[in-house]
Amino acid sequence: MSLERPDTTDDAAIERTPDELEALLGDLVVKRDDHLNAPGFVIRPDTVQETLSILKEQAGYDHLSVVSAQEYENRYESIYHLKKFDDPTQEVSVVVPADKDDPVSESAEPVFRTADWHEREAYDLIGVEYDDHPDLRRILLPETWQGHPLSMDYDKDRPQIATLPEHANPLQEHHKDDESDTMFLNIGPHHPATHGVLHLKTTLDGEQVVDVEPDIGYLHRSEEQMAQSGTYRHQIMPYPDRWDYISAGLLNEWAYARAAEDLADIEVPEYAQVIRTMGAEMCRIAAHMLALATFALDVNGDFTATFMYAINDRERVQDLLEDLTGQRLMFNYFRLGGVVWDLPEPREEFFSKTRDFLDQLPESVEEYHNLVTSNEIFQMRTIDTGILPPEVAKDYGATGPVARGSGVDYDLRRDDPYGYYDELDWDVVTEDGCDNFSRLLVRMREVEESAKIIEQCVDLLEDWPEEERNIQANVPRTLRPDDDAEIYRAVEGAKGELGIYIRSDGTDKPARFKIRSPCFSNLQTLPEMANGEYIPDVIAALGSLDIVLGEVDR
Amino acid sequence: MKSMATTMKHALDGSTFTVEYPEDAPEVSPRFRGVHKFSQERCIWCRQCENVCPNDTIQIVQDDQRNGEQYNLHIGQCIYCRLCEEVCPVDAILLTQNFEFTADTKDDFVFNKEQLKNVPWYKGIDPLESRNPDRGAWIGEGDGEVDYQ
Amino acid sequence: MGTAPAQLFPEFLVETFGLPGVLGEVVAALIAAAVVGNIVLAFTGVAGPWAKRKITAAFTDRIAVNRVGPFGLLIIPASAVQLLAKELIVPEGVDRPAWDIAPVILPASALLGFSVIPMGRLGPINFHLADPEVGFALVFAFASIASVSLVMAGYASNNKYSLLGGLRAVAQNLAYEIPLIVTAMSVVLFAGTLQMSGIVSAQTTTLVTIAGFDIPAWYAFVNPFAFVLFLTANMAEIGRNPFDIPEAPTEIVAGYQTEYSSAYFVLFYLGEFVHIFLGGAILAVTFLGGASGPGPESIGFIWFVVKIWGFFLFTQWARSALPRVRIDQLIEIGWKGMLVLSFANLVLTAVIVGVIA
Repeated sequence: MSLERPDTTDDAAIERTPDELEALLGDLVVKRDDHLNAPGFVIRPDTVQETLSILKEQAGYDHLSVVSAQEYENRYESIYHLKKFDDPTQEVSVVVPADKDDPVSESAEPVFRTADWHEREAYDLIGVEYDDHPDLRRILLPETWQGHPLSMDYDKDRPQIATLPEHANPLQEHHKDDESDTMFLNIGPHHPATHGVLHLKTTLDGEQVVDVEPDIGYLHRSEEQMAQSGTYRHQIMPYPDRWDYISAGLLNEWAYARAAEDLADIEVPEYAQVIRTMGAEMCRIAAHMLALATFALDVNGDFTATFMYAINDRERVQDLLEDLTGQRLMFNYFRLGGVVWDLPEPREEFFSKTRDFLDQLPESVEEYHNLVTSNEIFQMRTIDTGILPPEVAKDYGATGPVARGSGVDYDLRRDDPYGYYDELDWDVVTEDGCDNFSRLLVRMREVEESAKIIEQCVDLLEDWPEEERNIQANVPRTLRPDDDAEIYRAVEGAKGELGIYIRSDGTDKPARFKIRSPCFSNLQTLPEMANGEYIPDVIAALGSLDIVLGEVDR
Repeated sequence: MKSMATTMKHALDGSTFTVEYPEDAPEVSPRFRGVHKFSQERCIWCRQCENVCPNDTIQIVQDDQRNGEQYNLHIGQCIYCRLCEEVCPVDAILLTQNFEFTADTKDDFVFNKEQLKNVPWYKGIDPLESRNPDRGAWIGEGDGEVDYQ
Repeated sequence: MGTAPAQLFPEFLVETFGLPGVLGEVVAALIAAAVVGNIVLAFTGVAGPWAKRKITAAFTDRIAVNRVGPFGLLIIPASAVQLLAKELIVPEGVDRPAWDIAPVILPASALLGFSVIPMGRLGPINFHLADPEVGFALVFAFASIASVSLVMAGYASNNKYSLLGGLRAVAQNLAYEIPLIVTAMSVVLFAGTLQMSGIVSAQTTTLVTIAGFDIPAWYAFVNPFAFVLFLTANMAEIGRNPFDIPEAPTEIVAGYQTEYSSAYFVLFYLGEFVHIFLGGAILAVTFLGGASGPGPESIGFIWFVVKIWGFFLFTQWARSALPRVRIDQLIEIGWKGMLVLSFANLVLTAVIVGVIA
């Protein structure tokens, strides 16, 4: 694997027009296939590494957001969505068609480490094979699975029968080596600190971790396929709530709303944008509170008071969200072109409730600092453990608080503005510690920033003239975006860059719906943080990543 | 070591956040989406709710004259997205705030139209008023316990 | 120093009921031991299912058990029935009989420790079973048998988490037993005896009188530094937060307990709680004047109970507030910090005692 970083020269930072990029890539470009969000270059399947390294090193596209693969009538296709960490509005898509009968495409893993898991997923679900990939195995489905479920000829009625001996015994091979000093330990899938059903295949040398390999897919619910069988207008929106189900629902809904609205060219009224912004930030507070609570659980132990205090504060936000949306976790509040309801009546009561919450928040945050961050033992445990250097974070496509805890100044709310964020006064929080402590600190400080945003939104909403309270644009009952339009759009979810890739085929349902989950990319960095550390540090590092398995596995 | 002081402060102030459910029933927001209530009187059997339902929770059976015969809803499978209420042109189906339901088996959660009719309002509140004030609320149709038939 | 040793509990029984000869002494000793053992087990019964839940709830703004009986007190028999009625699952490949013996050793060793603890008077009865001249050494010896049980359980369970827990338990006990005992020795230097009653009676004198209040010469007041050292080492010895790493549920899933269920699980829990109370008892005897307190000597037992419950409360408080240290940090604190400090304390005490004497 290559971890060397290109020199970030000024040459890389400048913005290039699509034609300049095409000139830079020269003969590598077979033809142009522009997407709604970015220029797209079709290349030959054996020039993936060459193309991507030129884009990465010479044009500064250092962020591989996602690899989305799909099958067409006549070909397979992998799309590499590239961005710049410095300016995510500069995007480029690299489209790699592969042969229908023998879908082999060169792996991008040597250029971007993050491609490792993304390509494994593409192989698992679609069936594209990646040449030169270090470890091309299934990732979400069991290794005994027959067929690739999102490919066209997949027979979903065929029973998946695997006899017991076909299942690999995770213990077996590790028993045999008498010479070895290491011990193999399965952490999870049922372990108190894995925050769901995550399986860490851990190799230990005493108490120290030699190697850890996350095994995911236990919570795979075919969310992408479900979205592909729902209509744009109504049926997809309830599901984003269920990706990151830790009350980050509105943030997720926004990801879908943003992609679909841009795809179908829907304008959202300003008033609705303010409500969306406010609701989304409430969700962020709720999500970060839970992250803090469970991190305390991981480091302090089962009976820590911090957990209950943070859950109390989270309850208060959830009460507000319940008043606003009608549900505490699965909101289904956004609609394409706006939101479903105006603020609850009486409005003054909602505003005063919100302000009450915001007023007591600084006190709570102070309390958390007393309980957690200023505690000497806690500092001893978390500072300088689980180190994730910024270059590694970028290489793995880590985003959100994980990247910002490593000093990567990347926040889509500011860098790729949507909603009402660019009109408001708030700051992006970064910490340079690169350790577990910094990641927690980023979340705690982001709660305060979110409170600032909510406060400004409440001010705006209070003074909003009554006749201009338009909560939804006029959206046709059935949406049929243009045939073969493709778009990738991302928002800043609670855990990082949550992106949606949609390809339409002229019907009222998406032909391909790909979710770029921030947790998926963030979790991939775990071995980098954990190797060489002690078991408790692995647990702490995992807690500081704040993954939600519903989003990792989708 | 401020954490010791903070926890002791919480221990000594004696306030608790948890409540004694069910004696202390929670305040549910008027918009809260709970178990459905269905009015056969209002329903025009347009089947829009069945079409919009994201996971085929609603099943409608009609005779050859397109008169409604059955209206079944699996309240255990439902994801409570409220799209059925949203598309219903006559407010024949709506979600009460009732969140308390139990059954011995999953199949008991398949409610037919009679069962759906008998779902009680939570604390006697018709949520339609707060969700869509301009639509007429159900409550007040008939007196006291609403009679749909 | 010290007064004449008070009449012990078995001797009291012999005298009161006129039990004759050696047989009488044995019977009296058994009865006395059963009474004391049951008192301690009763504390444990209250502490485990009820007090612990209530205390933790108070720290975390919750209500906790309040439905079964007044103040939820009937949860105690309910939990007992529930725990004992569960199926005892014996995992494949466990190393029997070590696997069966381990859960017995833990509570037994902790209970044994109470045999030499002077628990004070309640009316005519002096709750003190035996007062050998090396009682102080004996109690530490009994208390440290516990780690044998943990290693046994960890090794015999045929589970990697248990093994890690067992190994952690040994490492931790080694690192903290020595500072614990070295610190305790500074007290022995003061008292000039290893006899439990002697150590207690050495603390009955008045240290200073401030504004009419007599501050007794408890070693916690005489040498607060040693008290803090001892308290910390004691927490590590009994494996409570922030030193609960042999269990560490969020890391190694309860460690040596992972594979135990039903009655064996109860025994382990019982053992742990008795161990906490033994830790409290040792602390009370060594640094808090044993059963001494305001009021007549005949209610000393009540003061003693208050002190050990106070220690129990402290462990629960620490548990709700303090993070768990990491194994390497724990060893480091033990060997590099506590050991050095405890020896410094010992030398200092020796010098002071030498100068005074």
